[in-house]
Amino acid sequence: MVRTRRLWTGLFLSLPLTIYIVIVVAPLLVSFYYSLTDWNGFNPEYSFVGAENFLKIGRDPQFFGAIRNTVVWMVAAIFLPSLGGLAIALALNGRGFAGNIYKSLFFLPICLSLVVIGQVWIWMYHPDWGLVNTVLSGLGLDGLRQAWLANPQTALWSVIIAWSWQQMGLAMVIFLAGLTSVPKELTEAAEIDGANYWQSLRRVVIPLLGPATVVVIALAIINSLKSFDIVYVMTQGGPFHSSDTLAMFMYNESFKKYYMGYGSAIAVVLFLISLVLISFYFRQVRIMNEVYD
Amino acid sequence: MKQLVWRLGAIMLLVALALGGCTAPVAPAASTGGADAPAAGGEPTKLSVIHYFSDTLGKEAMTKILDGFAAANPGITPVDNSAGHEDFKTQILVTLAGNNPPDLFSYWAGARTQFVVDGGRLAPIDQMWADNKLDEIIPAGIASGASTYSGAKYLIPLGYHYAGMFYNPKVMAEAGITEMPTTWEELIAAADTLKAAGIAPFALGSKNRWPAQFWFDYLLLRTAGPEYRAKLMAGEAAYTDPEVVAVMEKWKELVDAGYFVADANAYDWTDAADQVANGKAAMTLMGTWITGYWNGNELQPGADYDFFPFPAMQDGVPNVALGPVDGFVMTAASAHKPESEKLLMYLLDPAVQAAWAQAQGALAPSMKVDASIYNEVMKKASDQVAGAEGFAFNYDLATTPPMAEGGLNMFAQFMNDPSKYSDYLAETENVAKEVFKK
Amino acid sequence: MTEVTRPTNANAPRPRRVFRRWPELLFYTLLTVIVVLYSAPGVGVILTSFKTTEEIGRLGLWSLPEALRVANFTEAWTGGNVAQYAINSFLVTIPATIFSIALGVLTGYVFAKLPFRGSEALFVFVVAGMFYPPQIVLIPLFRLFNAVGLYDTLWPMIIVHTAFGIPICTLVMRNFFSAVPNAMREAAIIDGSNEWQVLTRIMLPVSLPALAVLATLQFTWIWNDFLWPIIFTQSDNMRTIMVGLASLKGQYSVAYGVQGAMSIMASIPTLIVFIFFQRYFIRGLTLGSVKG
Repeated sequence: MVRTRRLWTGLFLSLPLTIYIVIVVAPLLVSFYYSLTDWNGFNPEYSFVGAENFLKIGRDPQFFGAIRNTVVWMVAAIFLPSLGGLAIALALNGRGFAGNIYKSLFFLPICLSLVVIGQVWIWMYHPDWGLVNTVLSGLGLDGLRQAWLANPQTALWSVIIAWSWQQMGLAMVIFLAGLTSVPKELTEAAEIDGANYWQSLRRVVIPLLGPATVVVIALAIINSLKSFDIVYVMTQGGPFHSSDTLAMFMYNESFKKYYMGYGSAIAVVLFLISLVLISFYFRQVRIMNEVYD
Repeated sequence: MKQLVWRLGAIMLLVALALGGCTAPVAPAASTGGADAPAAGGEPTKLSVIHYFSDTLGKEAMTKILDGFAAANPGITPVDNSAGHEDFKTQILVTLAGNNPPDLFSYWAGARTQFVVDGGRLAPIDQMWADNKLDEIIPAGIASGASTYSGAKYLIPLGYHYAGMFYNPKVMAEAGITEMPTTWEELIAAADTLKAAGIAPFALGSKNRWPAQFWFDYLLLRTAGPEYRAKLMAGEAAYTDPEVVAVMEKWKELVDAGYFVADANAYDWTDAADQVANGKAAMTLMGTWITGYWNGNELQPGADYDFFPFPAMQDGVPNVALGPVDGFVMTAASAHKPESEKLLMYLLDPAVQAAWAQAQGALAPSMKVDASIYNEVMKKASDQVAGAEGFAFNYDLATTPPMAEGGLNMFAQFMNDPSKYSDYLAETENVAKEVFKK
Repeated sequence: MTEVTRPTNANAPRPRRVFRRWPELLFYTLLTVIVVLYSAPGVGVILTSFKTTEEIGRLGLWSLPEALRVANFTEAWTGGNVAQYAINSFLVTIPATIFSIALGVLTGYVFAKLPFRGSEALFVFVVAGMFYPPQIVLIPLFRLFNAVGLYDTLWPMIIVHTAFGIPICTLVMRNFFSAVPNAMREAAIIDGSNEWQVLTRIMLPVSLPALAVLATLQFTWIWNDFLWPIIFTQSDNMRTIMVGLASLKGQYSVAYGVQGAMSIMASIPTLIVFIFFQRYFIRGLTLGSVKG
């Protein structure tokens, strides 16, 4: 019995783990190796420089800028699309046909590639004929007109908003899913007890959305650590690194400056950060499970 | 558990060693031969080509060239494997590092090509150069400046560009400027006139950073001179030197005077070209490829646009022209070197060079190309280069790629807030110290 | 068997509209305003796709086109090798989606129902792959596929997307399987079923919603990817549609209209997949998320 169970375990795990190790893990180890060298990506030869690349990280202000931006991105990713998605989900939940039409409109951006979304938002932010500035002028707020992507104060947030625009639909779907698991008896009971909408929302609905929130936040963290495509299309990390994320920074160092060794070191640090976050995430999830079991 | 960990570790290590190829890179011949090797049956040899001409005009013209070559050489089929312009750089780096590059690829002459040559990834073409007496076709300046690296020939120039002050003649005429400035003082006077007439003198679209470099380049070339500039590019001078400070100071005066269209970093160079074309601005400092863009928008050379060379600023400084050279190189890993050389030679065919120049708004490097192919503006550009006392590559091609990243970054910072230029110069000098291991 | 085991909320009645006391008109007006604002970027693409470059230059991107021209669509379709790109995209996306989910089902089942000493750590190890930006392994992976002779075929993309899909598929399937009572597996084993039969006859039928979630997510992500095809292929007839789209955005390119048209065409398959799986999607996420 135990034998057959072990046999099946081995049988089930062998193929997925082999592929995973060969394609996902082993190349990462190779990068770890590169991070100890001064390879430029072109030359067949390179030398071993030990921890030099990691020491360089410690004194590179651009690295800390990228860390700061990634943290901003992560915090924004946890709140902006999630709260927006939650609000829409609450507003549209159970509204029948009309609600479904609105839902699909909010779904739509998920289907578009980030390349397309980046391009559209470049148009949205165009200083002369972009919709954002046009609307501001229409509202008589000419003073707020900006070159949104060219201003280092606004570039990062402009990209984050474009990204959140897409991610909001995803958060909405997950919260809608969460809402279907809220038993209507509970909200009805609250209603009978004389609770108003907000009270019932806060005391009954929101707590029951906990599991959905865990999923939304996990996706937000993963996506913010990997945020690359839309930055690449919209700003390439600019103007002058003001919208660099860690992934973008690593790419620029490796493929534009040809510091492959240094870029690999950045990736190692990025991976270590994510390991910390994963263990934190799993601890949270375990606590949640204990609460809900 | 322990056993499992050990086994997993062992597998990972093995695979990592196999992938890294750190000690023993995969032999190039093993990976490139194979299916593409010329078969006895008369199957045409496939030449893999990657280039960065992804815009509508360039891509079309390049396709025509490759088709023409295939028609003239029935045994050889060139295959165009290009992706977009930005992805080109990643594509080239990864395929070179992975020992399976294309047979030929387009590249920017200058420090970038030197970088790949240093990596031993390109095949020298000295034999081909000598056999075909290319010294009689390619002018000495380009042959030494753009084709020769570390003492050997590597690059076949396809076209080159000249950076000048492109302007809208109608706007200039309306503001009462009929004589184009030839000195710095005249340029400032013209800018004042234009500004008084309510027209922005200079358009600049530095969203992608590189368009700003021409200002830095010309200001430096016209004040400190080409020799000092070459030193700076090679890491033998400092960005904090008084020569560079003086350049930034002059540039800052222009920005402070309000001569530039606001928010340069928000626009692409095509936006700046549009601003000049529609009269919002009068001039833009740009390469001759702008004529290709304008021609595509049905503008007439001479009537709708023209240029004048960047004015002289200081006596005794040689008049040097500035611009990039686009060329093709052959990879060391190519399994089809004779066929690749045929294609390189075909690129020097006067008809091909002329067609390319006309499509791109470029100048043809070959001396066999007759000047009659140019429109009046391009003719002028060609004469400018011929009459100049030297030709320099623009900044991002003149200095090594990691340095260029730092410098381009500084230009964008400068256009955003010129008042802190000395901070930017200090930062850039730190980059230079790192790059050149000073 | 399946009837009994179907999780209860899959068939749960739709919750009644929660607290519908607001004036409906005001609510829908407000909602419509928000939706209009929200849709603006998408509408911009659609408007642009019908305009000529000259019209865009003269009227800007946001005005209505003067006529409903389909020239951009025909140009986008015929200009590049788009039909071939689309076929390649399907040839990569469909197998990679299926394989990654199939492998995730296997690992998810082991981690949920056949735990062993250290399986928890192994699970974290597998999920960790989700967290690093794949750009860093471009060169090692290129070398791998080059060495085994798969460069410039569609295989590297299928394999890489399968492998990089394993973490998310494992995570979701493991959570989903955990929610199915252990007693069901044990009963089946006592009846003489083996693990494969338990997985295929008991577990999979009840996990259709989770499979639909993963199918949608994976299809969308793989379809929209353009990093790997640029690296692993060099021939034009091995390109996927997103590479075609990305290469339209050259440094000098200003063909906004064609770009818009191609964007719209490129997103149609994901849209269809999404609509097709939408029903399952909403149910599946509920179930998957209950256990975190």
